[in-house]
Amino acid sequence: MTVPRGGIFGLLGPNGAGKSTTIRMLMDIIVPDAGKISLFGAERTGRDLSARIGYLPEERGLYKKMRVLDHLIFLGETKGLRRSVASAKASVWLERLGLSAWSGKKVEDLSKGMQQKVQFIGCLLHDPDLVILDEPFSGLDPVNSQVMKDVVVEIAREGRTVLFSTHIMEQAEKMCDRVVIIARGEKVIDGTLAEIKRAEAGAGHVALAFTRNAAAAARILEDRTLIARADDYGAAAEVELAPGADSDRLLKALVAADVGISRFEVVEPSLQAIFIAKVGTDAITAPAREDSDA
Amino acid sequence: MHKVWAVIRREFREKVRTRAFIIGTILIPTFMTLLIVGQVVLSQRDTGLRHIIVVDAAGGEFGSRLEAALRDVKLGSGDRGRTKYRVERIKAEGRMEPVKDSLVRLVGTSKDSLSKLDGFLVVTEAALDSGRVEYYGSNVSSLTEMGALQSTLRPVVLTERLVREGVSPAMVQKASAEVSLETSKITQGKLTGESGESSFFLAYAMTFMMYFALLFYGIQVMSSVIEEKSSRIMEVLASSISPFQLMLGKVLGVGSVGLFQLSIWAAAGLYITANVAPILALFKLSGDSATGVSIPSVSLPLLGVFLLFFVLGFFLYASMYAAVGAMCSTQQDATQTQQPVTIGIVVGLMCMFPLLNDPSSTLARVLSLIPFVAPFATPIRYSVAPLPWPELLLSIVTTVLGVLAITWLASRIYRVGILAYGKKPTLRELARWVRTA
Repeated sequence: MTVPRGGIFGLLGPNGAGKSTTIRMLMDIIVPDAGKISLFGAERTGRDLSARIGYLPEERGLYKKMRVLDHLIFLGETKGLRRSVASAKASVWLERLGLSAWSGKKVEDLSKGMQQKVQFIGCLLHDPDLVILDEPFSGLDPVNSQVMKDVVVEIAREGRTVLFSTHIMEQAEKMCDRVVIIARGEKVIDGTLAEIKRAEAGAGHVALAFTRNAAAAARILEDRTLIARADDYGAAAEVELAPGADSDRLLKALVAADVGISRFEVVEPSLQAIFIAKVGTDAITAPAREDSDA
Repeated sequence: MHKVWAVIRREFREKVRTRAFIIGTILIPTFMTLLIVGQVVLSQRDTGLRHIIVVDAAGGEFGSRLEAALRDVKLGSGDRGRTKYRVERIKAEGRMEPVKDSLVRLVGTSKDSLSKLDGFLVVTEAALDSGRVEYYGSNVSSLTEMGALQSTLRPVVLTERLVREGVSPAMVQKASAEVSLETSKITQGKLTGESGESSFFLAYAMTFMMYFALLFYGIQVMSSVIEEKSSRIMEVLASSISPFQLMLGKVLGVGSVGLFQLSIWAAAGLYITANVAPILALFKLSGDSATGVSIPSVSLPLLGVFLLFFVLGFFLYASMYAAVGAMCSTQQDATQTQQPVTIGIVVGLMCMFPLLNDPSSTLARVLSLIPFVAPFATPIRYSVAPLPWPELLLSIVTTVLGVLAITWLASRIYRVGILAYGKKPTLRELARWVRTA
C-alpha cells in the first residue's frame, strides 16, 4: 500500500486484521518478517525519521507521576526539540485543547480522556509532516472526539499527512480522502473514497426505513432476486440491489407489503456496507498464529 | 546524545522530586546526629554510680583489696572521672546466709538513687580457689556492667592468689602492667600515620557503601523500567529513542541520582563529625563525654580507584537490572528474576573478609580479575596497600571488558523485552532474544 503526501489516510480493518502491526512496523517498533517499508521516499526506519513523525500508539501510556507540562516537554525533547521550544509549543497546545489549567498537575490526576489529549499533544508538538494515529478516537466522548477531529482536519489542510487506523467506518467515511481496508493481514481495498464507491456501487444501493410490519419487510430483504445483500438494522437498512433488479421493483414490493416507508433513497454505498461486503463475517476473526498483533 | 540527555534529566528530576528520595536524604544524616547525641545523652543521664556491698567471708586482705580496687574504678576516662562504685564492706564470717537474706531484701528497694543498693558481691575463701565470685544485684542483665565488674575482679583475685604464694604485692603490680600492641601502617616504604584499625574501618565502610549503592540504585533502575512497561509509555519512547539510548539514559540518570544522594550523605557525615561539639551544644549537652569519632583519612588515589570501580560496578549491575526489568511485566516477577544479579553483589560483599586477611593472596588476585566482584575486591585490596600498577591496570581492563560485554548482552535483552508483555521468557527464549535483537 502507498500513502500519498498530504490529506487524511484511513487504515481500516476488523479487529486483529493487522492495523496496529502495520503501524508498529512503520515506526520500527517491530521488524517485518518480509516486505519493505520506505518513509518519505527513503528507505529509512521510523525511528531515524522520528523528528518528522508524530505517533499515537493504540496502547496509551504516560508517566503517571510526572506533571503534564514537564511530560510534554520531555516528549518534545525525545523528538529533538529544544526545551524552551517544547515548553512554548506545549503551552499553546494545552491552551487550545482546554487543558492549560492542568499543566502543573500530575498525569495521574487527569481523567482518561484528558490523558489521551495530552498524549495527542505529545505527538503533535514537533509539527510532524506525518502524523500516525492508532485508533485516535477510541474512548473519547463526543465533545473531545470533535476537538480531535478538528485538529486532524486542520493538519491535513496544512498539507501534512495524517494516517489513522480505525474500525469505525462512519468516522473514516467522513474524514478520509483515501482508505485501505485490510483483513487477516491482506489488503482488500485500496483507493480514494470516490473510486471505491464507484467500483463497489454494483446494481445500486438503497437506504430505506420503515415503521411497521417488520416481518414482511424482512421477507422482502431476504428475496435474493431483488436484493443481493442487506445491512439490516431492524427498522432501517442499507441494501445492495441484485443484478437485474432496480429500485422501482423494490419500492413496489415494499409498498405492497405495507411497511410504512419513512425513507427510500438511492445512495452511494456506505463504507460500512462496502466493508462488510468485502471483509465478510468469516474474516472478522483473526487467524490464531498472529500472536504479535495488538 | 540530545535524547540521551533528555532521558537522564527526566530520570534525575523525577527521582529527586519523589518523597522517598527527600525523606531518605534527610533521614540518614538525622540518624547520624541522633546516634551521636543519643550516645552522649545516655552516658550523661546515667550517673553510673553503683552502690555495692562486699560481703567479706574470706580471710586475709582479699576483701579489703577488692574494696580498694572497686573504689579506684572511674567513670569516663582520665583523672577527672568520678568514682563508679560506692562500696561498703561487711565482714560476714560464719553468718553468711542471714546476711545474704537481709541484703536480698534491700537491693533496689529504696527510691532514693543515692542510698539505693544495686547489689552485693560475696567473697569467700572458696572463691579464691574456684575463681567464682558471686554477685547478686538488680543490674545483672547489663553486659557492660558485669563485664566491668569482672575485669575489676580478675586482677584482684590474681593478686591475692600470688600474694598467698609469697609474692610481694608490689611485685605483682609490676608484673601485671598492661601490654598493648600499637599498630602503624607502612605503605610503599613510608609511614602513613594510620593505624591498622582505621584502615580496616575504611575498607569496611567503602565495601558497605558499594554494596548498598549497587543494590539500592540498581533496583531503582529495574523498577523504573518496569514502570515504563506497565504504564505502556514504552511504545511512544521506543518510536523516537533507540532502546540502547533509553537504557543508557536510564542507567546514567539513576546513577547520577545515586552519586548525588551519596555525596549529600558524605558531606553531611563530614560536617557532623567535624562539628560534634556545636551540635551537642544545640541539645544543651557538653561535648566532653562525646566519644571521639575519627574519620580515617582517604588518600586521593584510593578515592579515585574507589570511584572508578564504583562507576564500573554500577554500569555492570544496573544494566543487568535493566535487562531484568525488561524481562518482567510486574514487580512480583522481577523480585524473583533479579535474584541471580543480587547474588553477585552479595558475593562481592562476602569477599571483603578473606581479602582483608590477606590482600595479596592468589585468591585476591583472581577476584580482582572477575568483573562481577572486582568492583569490591580491587578497592579493598588497594585500601590495605596500593596495588602495583600492572596489576591494577589488568583489573581495570578486565572489568571494563566485562562491563562492555554485559551491557551489550543486557541491551539486547532490553531491546526485545521492553515491548514484550505477558509471561517471562525462558532461558532458551532469552538466548533467542539476544541473537535476534
